[in-house]
Amino acid sequence: MPGLPQLPFLLPRRVPVLGPVLVSLLKGADQLVDVVIADVVRRVDVDAIAARLNVMAVLDRLDLTDIVLSRVDLQRVVREVLIRLDAETLSEVLVLVDVDAVAARLDVDAVAGRLDVDAVLDRLNLTSTVLDRVDLGVVVDAALSKVDLIGIAEQIIDGVDLPEIIRESTGTMASDTVRRGRMQGIEADEAVGRAVDRLLLRHTRRPAERTT
Amino acid sequence: MAVDVVGDTTGGGVSPLPHEARPYQGRHAGLVTRTVAAIIDSLVVGTALVAGYVGFAGFLFLLDPRNFTLPQSSLFLSIFMFGLVAEVYLTLSWWAGGRTYGYLVMGLRLLGRGGRSPRFLGSAVRAICCVFFPIGILWIPISRGNRSVQDVLLGTAVVYDWHPRASSHQRTTQY
Repeated sequence: MPGLPQLPFLLPRRVPVLGPVLVSLLKGADQLVDVVIADVVRRVDVDAIAARLNVMAVLDRLDLTDIVLSRVDLQRVVREVLIRLDAETLSEVLVLVDVDAVAARLDVDAVAGRLDVDAVLDRLNLTSTVLDRVDLGVVVDAALSKVDLIGIAEQIIDGVDLPEIIRESTGTMASDTVRRGRMQGIEADEAVGRAVDRLLLRHTRRPAERTT
Repeated sequence: MAVDVVGDTTGGGVSPLPHEARPYQGRHAGLVTRTVAAIIDSLVVGTALVAGYVGFAGFLFLLDPRNFTLPQSSLFLSIFMFGLVAEVYLTLSWWAGGRTYGYLVMGLRLLGRGGRSPRFLGSAVRAICCVFFPIGILWIPISRGNRSVQDVLLGTAVVYDWHPRASSHQRTTQY
């Protein structure tokens, strides 16, 4: 008899005759109470009571966020959601998302810092990309417009001493007749040298001696 | 015979020399070239003598036109004057730039000991040797180094050098 207190029954059991009677009465009353309660519960329309319940007032009295955070396994919930999420549903979700706002909050510099640029470049054919998409004429024109061509030409002329070359070219060596005469002289020198070597029975070739 | 001023950079600069002549630059010149140069120099000296003779005759004509006659000259005096003019001409030409007019035409240059410009005294001694012993040039083909008797005695050398000017280490005039 879980519903009856124990201590009051200790006293009647010690009372002769009347004690057992009281105990029996108490047990019967206890059983009766159970029956009555069961009957009451059966007869009560819980739905009607719930319908009359001011749910909002109840919710106002509860801190649902705190309850969810403390009593719900959110990781498990999210995992289950992601598992059940298919591509179509995901695209529907993304439609609702303001991607521009997300991108605005993205730290692009940090992303770029982690980017393996060399690997990206290895996958690209930059030469063909430049040839196909870059107007090289415009690029060259722009580059040349920023270059001091006259200054560079003057530096080159200074470096190779072009005036000196022109002076030499238009000087004593300008005449084809002189050049031909000199070359014929050299060839005649070689021929005479070889002939004398043969006359003197020199088998080794005359060395090209230099003094500079 | 085109002159290439672009491709050759030997010697630290662009060379205006023809390709076929470049391998010979700095090499000792042979008999034919030096003989031609000597003939040209002889013609120069002869021309100078004739010019001097004409000038001297003109001077005499200006002094006494009525009694003017062409000045007479002995063979000995002519040879002496030829030698004297040649001596002066060769000495000054070699000392000044290492080349006479004949050398200039044939693209030759005289170098002193060590490849430097010839000294004045060396030029004068060599000129004397060339005037008094011109056949020393015939030793060139016999010599393995294309040297005449004068070159052997004085340590000089005559090289092919088509550049109009001496290289920097040869430009210093020495006395």
